[in-house]
Amino acid sequence: MTHLLECKDLHVKYGGVHALRGISLHVDEGEIVTIIGANGAGKSTLLNAISAIVPISSGEILYEGQPLPRKAHQVVARGIAQVPEGRQVFANLTVKDNLKIGAFLRRDAQGVAADLERVYRIFPRLRERENQYAGSLSGGEQQMLVIGRGLMSHPRLMLMDEPSLGLAPMLVQEIFKVIREINREGTTLLLVEQNAHKALAIAHRAYVLETGEIIREGYGQDLLKDPAVQEAYLGARRTARQK
Amino acid sequence: MILQQIVNGISIGAVYALIAVGYSLVYSVLNFSNFAHGDVLMLGAYIGFFSLMLLKVPFPLAIAMAMVGAGIIAMIIEKIAYRPLRLRRAPLLYFMISAMGMSIFLQNFTIVTIGPNFRTYPDIFPVKPFAVGNLSIGRLDLVILIATVIVLLLLTWLVYKTRIGIAIQAAAYNMRVASLMGINPDLIATLVFLLAGASAGIGGVLFGMKYTVYPWMGVLTIKAFVAAVVGGLGSLPGAVVGAFVLGITETFAAAYISSAFRDLFSYLLMTIIIVARPAGLMGTVAQEKA
Ligand SMILES: Nc1ncnc2c1ncn2[C@@H]1O[C@H](COP(=O)(O)OP(=O)(O)OP(=O)(O)O)[C@@H](O)[C@H]1O
Ligand SMILES: [Mg+2]
Repeated sequence: MTHLLECKDLHVKYGGVHALRGISLHVDEGEIVTIIGANGAGKSTLLNAISAIVPISSGEILYEGQPLPRKAHQVVARGIAQVPEGRQVFANLTVKDNLKIGAFLRRDAQGVAADLERVYRIFPRLRERENQYAGSLSGGEQQMLVIGRGLMSHPRLMLMDEPSLGLAPMLVQEIFKVIREINREGTTLLLVEQNAHKALAIAHRAYVLETGEIIREGYGQDLLKDPAVQEAYLGARRTARQK
Repeated sequence: MILQQIVNGISIGAVYALIAVGYSLVYSVLNFSNFAHGDVLMLGAYIGFFSLMLLKVPFPLAIAMAMVGAGIIAMIIEKIAYRPLRLRRAPLLYFMISAMGMSIFLQNFTIVTIGPNFRTYPDIFPVKPFAVGNLSIGRLDLVILIATVIVLLLLTWLVYKTRIGIAIQAAAYNMRVASLMGINPDLIATLVFLLAGASAGIGGVLFGMKYTVYPWMGVLTIKAFVAAVVGGLGSLPGAVVGAFVLGITETFAAAYISSAFRDLFSYLLMTIIIVARPAGLMGTVAQEKA
């Protein structure tokens, strides 16, 4: 069967830096797939290559069996949204305009209005702040905003780059709850996380990325119990020994 | 006669404003100053001139033709002189060089095809000014002011209230993230040049009517560029404020000091403002560029 998304032997180079070295992976409709890996492993590069904001030097990316266009806005038009890392809101726009711009390509006004309600239901804080400039939000609120903005395009596949980074534990819980919820509502997710524990716990499948290569893959639950993964990414020698 | 000078200053400031918003708009989205902007203005002035003289169209139509013509010319300039550089992520310096090349080309092309002579717009509005109390307001100045206000209001509505305007603002803040929203950077660039070109087009007609039309009249827009920088390059309200500050300073310097010192004083003031406030008068929001 054809996968929703499939990367075949993907290579990305930044000048002399060989950031992705032959990545092959796939995501099926309805899944949460997570990518874990240390800083600089190439996680963001992978998402950016899929989103076409980084050029690929070889390999291919298939979406529903067809090559994905190589311009970022065309990728979005195909139903793939990215929530970029690092709270990249449009600080010069209000919260509401940030959300509306997330739905830039949509023509179904009613659907957009419904999704705006949904985002406000998930993050009531954003409704309270809707007329405030995004630049004046707190870090956590900005993170809610970029996630909400990503949802506004009503993507079929959502790429999320470290959505929980730097958030208070309470909020991290909340974000993971949201990720589960939008997945249940039908959005497929490719999730990059440093919070490997939580990510593996909610993921159907996972890939472990190390210096541009996939060194392990499997079901989320299995990797969670894998001693090597525990040692390297879960910081849990104790549980490893107990096992 | 302070009031009279303010009236004169506002009139010249209005034309600067029309030009300055174009510099600012392009800079806000593409991060470079389009030094061929003045030549787009020059071409707009010629389009308006020949529409009136040869095609004998009514004045409002001549303005419309200048705006459309200059808008299209600006779009073409973006496509051939800047887009290839942008797609190759060339350093900013190359954009500047390309702009200068375009500017020199357009001036010389005009000299060769239309000729180097100065041309004077016909007197469309009676030369005799209005008298309001002690004030005398030139009819042309009034037309300039009204036209400027209309264009600026339209532009403001477009950029701040419409869907595509919000996309322009998003692209101005961060083009890369904007493209992740499905915004096509090429489309935004085209649009921004169209808007900047159209404002320069009407600016050219008004400038031409107030003074004359000639192939290198575009150099005068360097003043509007300075106004845009003083206002805070990239900020539309800033460009307008900077333009009026410059216009009024100029007329005051000319009236109370000496017209020979006009530019000396206005540029001195501009330099002082820039040194004191490098972000410009209205450049408050830190522009983060990716
Ligand atoms: N624009 C760039 N130019 C040059 N090198 C880059 C660029 N972006 C990333 N790299 C390099 O590519 C490698 C992978 O970077 P990437 O951002 O994909 O890592 P990451 O896994 O997302 O890390 P983190 O967890 O810190 O976000 C790193 O070595 C990085 O230094
Ligand atoms: Mg990253």
